[in-house]
Amino acid sequence: MEIEILQGIISLLIILGFSPLFAGLINKLKAVLTGRIGAPVWQPYYDLKRLFKKETINATVSSFVSRISPVINFVTVAVAATMLPIGFWKPLISFNGDIILFAYILGLARFIQILAAMDIGSSFEGMGAAREATFALFAEPIFFFTLGSVAFISGLSSIYDIYYSIQLNNISYIVFIVICSISAFLLAVTECSRMPVDDPNTHLELTMIHEVMILDNSGIDLFLYQYSGYIKLFIYAILEISFFYPFSAQSYLVGVMIFVIGSFILALTLATVETITSRFKMKNIPQYLLFATAIGILNLLIYTFTK
Amino acid sequence: MISLEVQNNQSFDLSVIPFLSKEDFRNSVLEGMVCGYRMIGLTPLNNDEPEKLISILADARSSMIHLTGGVFDKNDLKFESFANLFPQTNYFECELAENHGYMLLNHPWLRPVRKQNMISGNKPYQFYKIDGEEIHEVAVGPIHAGVIEPGHFRFQCHGELVYNLEINLGYQHRGIEKLLLKSNSSQSIVLAESIAGDTVIGHSYAHCSAIESLSKTQISLRAQVIRSIAEEIERAAMHLTGLGGVANDIGFSLVASSYGRLRTLVINSLALICGSRFGRGLFVYGGVRFDLNDEMVNSILNNLQIVRDDVEAVNQYLFSSIGALARFENTGVVQNELAAQVGLVGLAARSCGIEEDARIHFPYGAYRYSPVSLINLSGGDVFSRARLRAMEIDESLRFVIDQLENLPDGEIKTNFGNVESNQGVIAIVEGWRGEIVHTVFTNDEGNLSHYKIKDPSFNNWYGLSLALRKTAISDFPLCNKSFDLSYAGHDL
Repeated sequence: MEIEILQGIISLLIILGFSPLFAGLINKLKAVLTGRIGAPVWQPYYDLKRLFKKETINATVSSFVSRISPVINFVTVAVAATMLPIGFWKPLISFNGDIILFAYILGLARFIQILAAMDIGSSFEGMGAAREATFALFAEPIFFFTLGSVAFISGLSSIYDIYYSIQLNNISYIVFIVICSISAFLLAVTECSRMPVDDPNTHLELTMIHEVMILDNSGIDLFLYQYSGYIKLFIYAILEISFFYPFSAQSYLVGVMIFVIGSFILALTLATVETITSRFKMKNIPQYLLFATAIGILNLLIYTFTK
Repeated sequence: MISLEVQNNQSFDLSVIPFLSKEDFRNSVLEGMVCGYRMIGLTPLNNDEPEKLISILADARSSMIHLTGGVFDKNDLKFESFANLFPQTNYFECELAENHGYMLLNHPWLRPVRKQNMISGNKPYQFYKIDGEEIHEVAVGPIHAGVIEPGHFRFQCHGELVYNLEINLGYQHRGIEKLLLKSNSSQSIVLAESIAGDTVIGHSYAHCSAIESLSKTQISLRAQVIRSIAEEIERAAMHLTGLGGVANDIGFSLVASSYGRLRTLVINSLALICGSRFGRGLFVYGGVRFDLNDEMVNSILNNLQIVRDDVEAVNQYLFSSIGALARFENTGVVQNELAAQVGLVGLAARSCGIEEDARIHFPYGAYRYSPVSLINLSGGDVFSRARLRAMEIDESLRFVIDQLENLPDGEIKTNFGNVESNQGVIAIVEGWRGEIVHTVFTNDEGNLSHYKIKDPSFNNWYGLSLALRKTAISDFPLCNKSFDLSYAGHDL
């Protein structure tokens, strides 16, 4: 029992410690793919350090919501992180039904951030909040038609158990899992405000979705937002990579290797997608998200009928 | 129409401008505009005599510029606005009212050009507003999230759709027109170069042409060709920058960085000639400061050949990408009739199907002997503007390579005489963005007495407002970049 708790704590520390590195890796790969040298992979750590040292300034019109939002955001994302397995180590929080907790604790983070964005009354932030809320509405079903469908098939409802139950003995099941992972990738792109839904590098406040909501934050508040952003990206990366754990034949060591290699491949995929695609028109984003949901639904139906 | 007809860069005696009475002035100007002439200037003879107003109309078909003067009562500067009939005069009239205190009767929409508190007793200007439950107003700038020039934008939106965009500029006003009157000849060129940092060659070309015409200096053919080469290199470089910017705004980073890389090669070619990547210091009165030798010609040719091949591949990639086309097509459309009415110029006009290019319609310098082709697209959307720029890069590179291979011999600099007294000149140059007009008058002592600059941005900012109507607000940065207008050039 103690060893499991220890493993859970180590998993959490890995997520907290390496999430900025993952973001840095994507940026580095993106730079390399476009023929530039790019910032070092450690750049997100430098950024966080810089923000940590800076003074925090709040808008004079802001209420307590703006002050508590960064903390709640960070805590909720960190709690979500404790539910995810790294390799085949049991996560710190794992119980039947934690898949629902996972989905809605991230929802809570978004809810409080949207409130905080509207708190200041800036027209940009209101616009960003409206966009974030709209697209979240379309993104939510994707989660339940990917990980949720696996849960439905296996009859389990804990994230760890769901991933643990994935077996590779059946060809139609493999196809099912691979397609789930594609849907989950589209979800990760949306949730982490990456291209082609949102452009993390844009400086144009009118086109931003996620970034515009934190325009008025500074210092430690911005540090928490940025850090939770990195963690969230890593969380969705793990959700994606975990689909491929069965290939490790349930060995710890191979599981960890798959985790490392998987992270790298995912970073490369994200960087490639961001290099060769352009952003969608804002009004086309819901279609894109519905497309991912449709894949999930079809996948589930086809698997259920061909099983 | 009663007017003085001159050609581009042709100097004329100020006394031959016909100064008419108030009514005759109005009728004459209206007559000109009915014939399809376009206003390129509305300015008094000099700042001390605001009552002597001169309207400058350009006729592209006959390549003639028509000057008509009007004399007003010094204590009662007012006339009936032309803008209700010819919206293209709107902004010129606003500028006149702001700078010289003219009262414009029945003007449709008198708004500040460069000063925030102008008309009506120094009250702050009230922006146009739309009322309604679900209407919201978004104010952007003058301080932006990125490192760009300052400008204030007011959007009246319904959800994501923009119903009206008002653009308020003037934050970069440096008083260049006044500084040019006070400065000596070595300072003036530097000032002209810094009117708009991205149109160094365009503005210094117009300035030098104007001053050379006033002093009756003939410049050698070789110098003219070098000037045109520099101008076309600047055009190609800025179009590459603009396309890179457009690609960057849709997050297409592969294309954006490729254009960035190619632009470096192009501006480095300019640096080979004059030591500055933006062409500063190349122009002097009477010619150019630096000559081309064979070695330079070869390395520039070499550079441009690489650019030519690579640009083709990158263009092919950008304009065949479905994602990019979905963003470009039918975004920020300006209808042809509307563009003609509000008097758009340069690439914004050519992308709306208006045939307008000063290099062809008001030829000057080397373009008189080696013409360029007029490139014209009719869509009026972001795609047309981007595609037009891509096509103009090809044409510019063709021109530069042609000229470099057949460089005429001769001196690069001729002796520059003194500016003659009581003369005037209108110098039109097609900068990369569009038509640049420098209007210069001299006084009895042979000093400059009036200097009026019109950057293409002055005409085209309103085009951006029109492009945004019924367009999603998230497409604003893309539309803005596709017009690629200058704040400094407008603010002077």
